[in-house]
Amino acid sequence: MRRRLLLGALAAHGLPFSPARAAPLLRVGSKNFTEQLVVAELFAQALERAGATVQRRVNLGGTAIAQQALLAGEIDLYPEYTGTGLGVVLRQPPQGDAAEVLAKVRAGYAPLGLDWLDPSGIDNGNALLVLPETARRHGLATLSDLARAAPQLTLAAGNEFADRADGLPGLRRVYGMEFRRFRQFAALGLRYAALNHGQADVVNAYATDWQIATYGFTTLRDDRRLWPPYQLAAVVRQQALRDFPGLAPPLLAIGARLDNAVMQELNRQVDQDGDEPREVAARFLKRQGLA
Amino acid sequence: MRWTSRNLDTIGAALLTHAELVAAALALALLIALPLGLLVARRPGLRTALLGSASILYSLPTLALFALLVPVLGLGFAPALLALVTYAVPVLLRALLAGLASVPPAVVDAAEGMGLTHRQRLFRVELPLALPALLGGLRVASVTLVSAATVAAYISAGGLGTLILSGLDQGHTEKILVGAGLVTLLALLIDGTLGALQRRLPASG
Repeated sequence: MRRRLLLGALAAHGLPFSPARAAPLLRVGSKNFTEQLVVAELFAQALERAGATVQRRVNLGGTAIAQQALLAGEIDLYPEYTGTGLGVVLRQPPQGDAAEVLAKVRAGYAPLGLDWLDPSGIDNGNALLVLPETARRHGLATLSDLARAAPQLTLAAGNEFADRADGLPGLRRVYGMEFRRFRQFAALGLRYAALNHGQADVVNAYATDWQIATYGFTTLRDDRRLWPPYQLAAVVRQQALRDFPGLAPPLLAIGARLDNAVMQELNRQVDQDGDEPREVAARFLKRQGLA
Repeated sequence: MRWTSRNLDTIGAALLTHAELVAAALALALLIALPLGLLVARRPGLRTALLGSASILYSLPTLALFALLVPVLGLGFAPALLALVTYAVPVLLRALLAGLASVPPAVVDAAEGMGLTHRQRLFRVELPLALPALLGGLRVASVTLVSAATVAAYISAGGLGTLILSGLDQGHTEKILVGAGLVTLLALLIDGTLGALQRRLPASG
């Protein structure tokens, strides 16, 4: 009886998931790094707010596992990056501007029974960073500028950067960039330390790393489009969209409030302050008037 | 210790899931390895083939195994359990077969001479004599499993690996220490218990 009253009260509020029967069960997935965990929590809490029962199946160990889980119907949605979907899942050359890459992943995923919702404002692609002082001294704003100064500079990057097609070979091919020295740093945190301590002039990073905002590094613009866009969007099973027509709007509302600067700050709250993704997500939704 | 005190329920749940996974995997692995081992103990051809395929299973990279298992078993407990069982079965099989092989032929002859049937000889003579080796294998397998179960986090099966892996990603030292510390404690606890059991076996003295 009490349950029915509760459901009646929810229905009266006009929640998108009509609770005429039981609340729909949605399984939200994520891969295993901070940004994924935060965005998955944002999605999960917004869907709960919209009347769904949400099961969190987060921390999946990579794109392959998340994709298999979607295909097997073990999760209904997870946040993915358009460039990753195109390159890693569809195995197509990750090239093109944001609209082209989105159109390609939508076309490639549709036959698998999967939809890409409209992307958020996050584009978590590759980035080369320098200290503002280095940028001033050498007049650096773009990677083309960097190519001119590179023979005097040291680059610190991850192990794979020396060989990846979109790493050093790509920089050489598209920009003719040759650094004075290349130093390998496996852990991203070490690369930032190297930059701060002058052991490297340039480091590779990802555009939503919290350190960029906190330490005020300068991101150089990829003016000749070596790197594809990595727009963050929810990938959702079409079956789930059919079963629960109220599914997309809360996810799109969150995506519309996310951009790289916002995400850097949310990532920082987890990685630097040590807050849990669920706490960070709850605070953000509340501040945005979504909770 | 701010994170720990605020997340005791999460930590407790991770520890419990971890222990459950290890216990279930050990039990299942024993149920598989014991009959298989007894079946092939006196059949050298089969024995070589079985140990060979068990070794291949043991050497499969876990992440690859998971990506293959998700379409069949989904996410969560079941695929994690299966992956752990593939780790434990080869260890237990080798231990059991080594134990059975170490029974002195003279003892087997004497048992035969006393008129014991095949089954009586196995259960009253050979298995008791192989038990210390089997228990040793169980100790190795359980300690291996406690640390291997951290990969269950990759397929949302929970456990202490969730703390360790997210701690590594976030550079959250406290999370890593709590996760790794509990894994070590759990391993020591199980190893100590089985060790005490092993020392109390009459056959080992």
